[in-house]
Amino acid sequence: MSAIAANTAPRRSPFWRAVISGTGIVALIYVLLYALYAFWQPDALSVYTFTDLVNNSTPLALAAAGETLVVISRGFDLSVAGVVSLTNVLMAVYPLDGPGGALVSLLMCCAIGAFVGMINGILVARLGLQTIAATLGTMIVCQGLALVILDAPGGTVADFVTYTLTDTLFGVVPIAGLFLVAAVVLWLAFRRTNTGIGLYAIGADEQSARFSGVAVSGVRITAFVGAGILYGVAGFMLSAQTATGNPTAGTPFLMLTFAAVALGGTPLSGGRGSLVGSILGAGTLMLLQKVLFSGGVSSFYTGIFQGFVLVLAIVFGNTVARLLKKDEAR
Amino acid sequence: MSTDETRLAVRIAKIAKSYGPTVALDSVSIDLRPGEVHALLGENGAGKSTLVKILSGVVRPDSGSMSILGSPYTPHGIVDARTQGVATAFQELSLLPNLSIAENLMLPKMPRGMLGLASHRTAMASAGRILQDYGLAHFDPDTPVGVLSLSDRQRLEIVRAFTHAAKLLILDEPTAALADVEWLFELVRRQKALQTAILYISHRLGEVRTLCSRATILRNGRSIGTVELSGASDANIFEMMVGRSAREAVNALPATGDTAPIALGVKGLSGGILSDVSFNVRQGEIVGIAALEGQGQRDLFRTLIGLTKAKGGSVEIDGVRAQIASPGAALHFGNGLAYLPEDRKSEGILAGLTTASNMVLPIISRIARGGIVWPAGERRVARETAAAVDLQERYLHFKIDELSGGNQQKALLARVIMTGARTLLLFDPTRGVDVGTKQSIYEAIRKFAADGGSVLFYSSELPELVHLAHRCIVLYGGRIFAEYQGDAIDEQTIVGALIGHARGTKTEVAA
Repeated sequence: MSAIAANTAPRRSPFWRAVISGTGIVALIYVLLYALYAFWQPDALSVYTFTDLVNNSTPLALAAAGETLVVISRGFDLSVAGVVSLTNVLMAVYPLDGPGGALVSLLMCCAIGAFVGMINGILVARLGLQTIAATLGTMIVCQGLALVILDAPGGTVADFVTYTLTDTLFGVVPIAGLFLVAAVVLWLAFRRTNTGIGLYAIGADEQSARFSGVAVSGVRITAFVGAGILYGVAGFMLSAQTATGNPTAGTPFLMLTFAAVALGGTPLSGGRGSLVGSILGAGTLMLLQKVLFSGGVSSFYTGIFQGFVLVLAIVFGNTVARLLKKDEAR
Repeated sequence: MSTDETRLAVRIAKIAKSYGPTVALDSVSIDLRPGEVHALLGENGAGKSTLVKILSGVVRPDSGSMSILGSPYTPHGIVDARTQGVATAFQELSLLPNLSIAENLMLPKMPRGMLGLASHRTAMASAGRILQDYGLAHFDPDTPVGVLSLSDRQRLEIVRAFTHAAKLLILDEPTAALADVEWLFELVRRQKALQTAILYISHRLGEVRTLCSRATILRNGRSIGTVELSGASDANIFEMMVGRSAREAVNALPATGDTAPIALGVKGLSGGILSDVSFNVRQGEIVGIAALEGQGQRDLFRTLIGLTKAKGGSVEIDGVRAQIASPGAALHFGNGLAYLPEDRKSEGILAGLTTASNMVLPIISRIARGGIVWPAGERRVARETAAAVDLQERYLHFKIDELSGGNQQKALLARVIMTGARTLLLFDPTRGVDVGTKQSIYEAIRKFAADGGSVLFYSSELPELVHLAHRCIVLYGGRIFAEYQGDAIDEQTIVGALIGHARGTKTEVAA
C-alpha cells in the first residue's frame, strides 16, 4: 500500500488559532477602542462606567448571539426585531414585581422567543420556506402584536427588574454581564453536542450533512428556537435598561445584530463563526458610540463610524484568512 | 443458475421510483451474494444514482422490495440504513469541509466524555484508529477536511463507508478522483473476505473486470440483465448498456493537412505555471492536450479564454492578434473562440433555466426579435443544434438540472457550437459521462472539425486522445514536453511522456 502524504495544514495551538480567528480580531479591536476611551475619559476604567457600558451592550449582545446560531446554519433571522419589541411591551404592560415576578417575566420572554423560533424553524425546515421570507413574516406579526398590546411608548417595567439587573454584584460584577457569561458557557457546551456540531455541518453543506446522517430539520429548528430564546432574553434586558415599553423598540436591533455578527467574524454565508465573537462585536458597536461621544464627535456621525469599522473589520479578517490560506498552500 | 434465497446477502426485487412524470427507475432487480463484488453498469441517466439513494435510505422507492439476509429491508433514513449494515461512499462526496477529519468520521454522533459532551480526545483517538486500520495513518484526524486534496477527500469518504458497512457496501464511482486505486482494491478484497456484499459502480471497465465477478446492467431505469464478467466481452456489455452495438471509432487526418490556414496560433505563452508554450491549431484540425493533473493545462485554457491574465506571449485567432479579456470578448476575435468549461455544475449550466435557454444563452441578442427572446424562436434555434450533438428534442423544455450529467454535457457542447465560433476550447469534454454519450460527443466534435472548425481539447483519458486527436501535445511542468501526430499517438507512448520520460518518438515502458 503506497503512502501518499496527505497535505495536512500546519499545526497550530488552540491559543494561536483563537487569536487569528474572527473572535480574536474583534477582541483586539475592542481592547484598542477601550484604550482610546480611557485616554479621553479617565473614569472609563471605573466600575460605574464599565457597568454602564455592559448594561448598554447586553440587549444587543444577546440578540446578536441568537442571530449567530441561525447565521451559522446558513440562514437569516429577521424575527429578532419582532421578538424584542413584543417582549419589551409585555414587560411594560404586565409588570410583575419582586424576584419571583422577575423570574416569571424572564421565563415568559424565553417562552415567547422559543415559540416564535419554533414557528420559524417549522416554516423553514418542514415547509421549505426561505429563512428571510419566513422570519420576515414572523417579524411583522410580532411587531403588529406589540402595537396591539401597546399602541404608543409607555408603561412601566417592574422596579425590581430595572434596579437589580442594572446593578452590580459585590460592587464589581455587572449583573447584566452574568447573563452574557451564562450565554457563553451554554454556547461552549452546546457546540460540543451532536446538535452543535450538526449546526456547523448543515451551514457548510446541507446535502452532505444529510448524507452524513445529520438530522437536518431537527438541527435547524433547534437553532431557531435557541435564537428565539436569546432574543426573548434580549428583550427582557432591554426592558430593564429602558424601564418602559416601546412597540418599535426592536427595530434598531434588526440591522445592528447583523452588523455585530459580521463584525464578530461570523461570515453570513454560514458554516463558520462563533457566538462569542458576536457578543464582542455587539460590545464594540456600543463602545464605539461612547468613544465617539467622549472624543467630542457629534452623535449624528455614529452610524458612519459604525459602518466603517464593520467594513474594515471584515476586510481585515478576509485578508488574514487569505494570507493563512496561502501559507497553508505552500 | 439457481440461487437459494436465504444464502443471498441482498435481494433487490422490482424496485421502481418516479419523480412526477419522470420515471427514474422502472423495474430493477439485483441479487448479491455474501462476499461478492457486484458491478452496476449503465449510462448516465440509466438510474444508478436513484438506486444508490434508495439503497442508502435517502429516497424511498414507490414499489418493489428489498431484503438483507432474508429479512425485509426498508430503511427510513441514512442512519437507519447504517445501523442495518448498509453504507455508501457517494460519488458527490458527502464530507463537511469545515469539520475535522475526526468529526466527519464520527458524524452524526460524537463519542461522549465528561458531562455528556463530545470528547475531543476520544474522537481523535477513535478516528486515529480508523485511519490506521485503513492505511491512512499519515492523516492527522484534527485536520479540517477543507484543506485536503480531492483525492484524499475521496479516500476519507470511502473509509467512512467501510466503517459502517457490515452487510452491504455501495461504492459509487469511488475512483473518479482517486490517485491510488491499489489502496482501494486492497480494502475491497479485505472487506470481501468478511462476507460483505459490495455494489461497485464505475465507468471504468478495466477496474470492474479486476474487482468484480458479476455485473448487472441498467438501461432506462430497468435492469437489463446480470452477466458473469469472465464470459462477457466489452462489446457485449456496451451493447447491453446502450441497446445498440458499438461503432468503431476511426479518426482520419484532415484532408487539408499542413496547408490549412492557422486558426489558433499560440506563441511563447506564459502565465500561472505555464511557461513559453507555442503551438498552432489549423482549420479542420483536432488537437488534444495530454497531461497529468496540474501540469498547466488549466492555466493554458483559462489564459486562452481570458479568465486569467497571460504573463507573456501572444495569441492569434485566424491571424488576428487577440488580447482576450473575457470569454465574451473571445467570441469576437477572428472567427471566434468558444470555451467549454471543466466543471459543468459550477461553471457551465444555469440550473433552473430550461435546456433550450441554457443552449441559446450566448446568442440571445442574435435571436431576439424586438428585444425579446420569444420561446418559440428559442426552441427552434436550439432544436437545430440539439440534433448535431445527438440530444433528444424532448429534453429542450426540461429544466437543465433535471437532466443526467451526460445530457447536460451535450447541451453545453451545443451551446459552444451555437456561438458560431470556429475554434473551440474543450476542457475534458467527456468527464463523468457514459460510453454512449461519449460517442455522441466524439461525433459532434469530428463533424465540427470536418466542416472546417478547429478544436483544442484536454482530456484526462488516454483512449480519448488516441481516438479523437489528429495531433497530441503533452504538457509537463507547464511546458510542451512532446508532440505526436497521427499514428504516432498511442497510449503507451503518451503514458511515458506524461510522467516526463522519453522525449520524442520511442518509449521504453518497464514491463
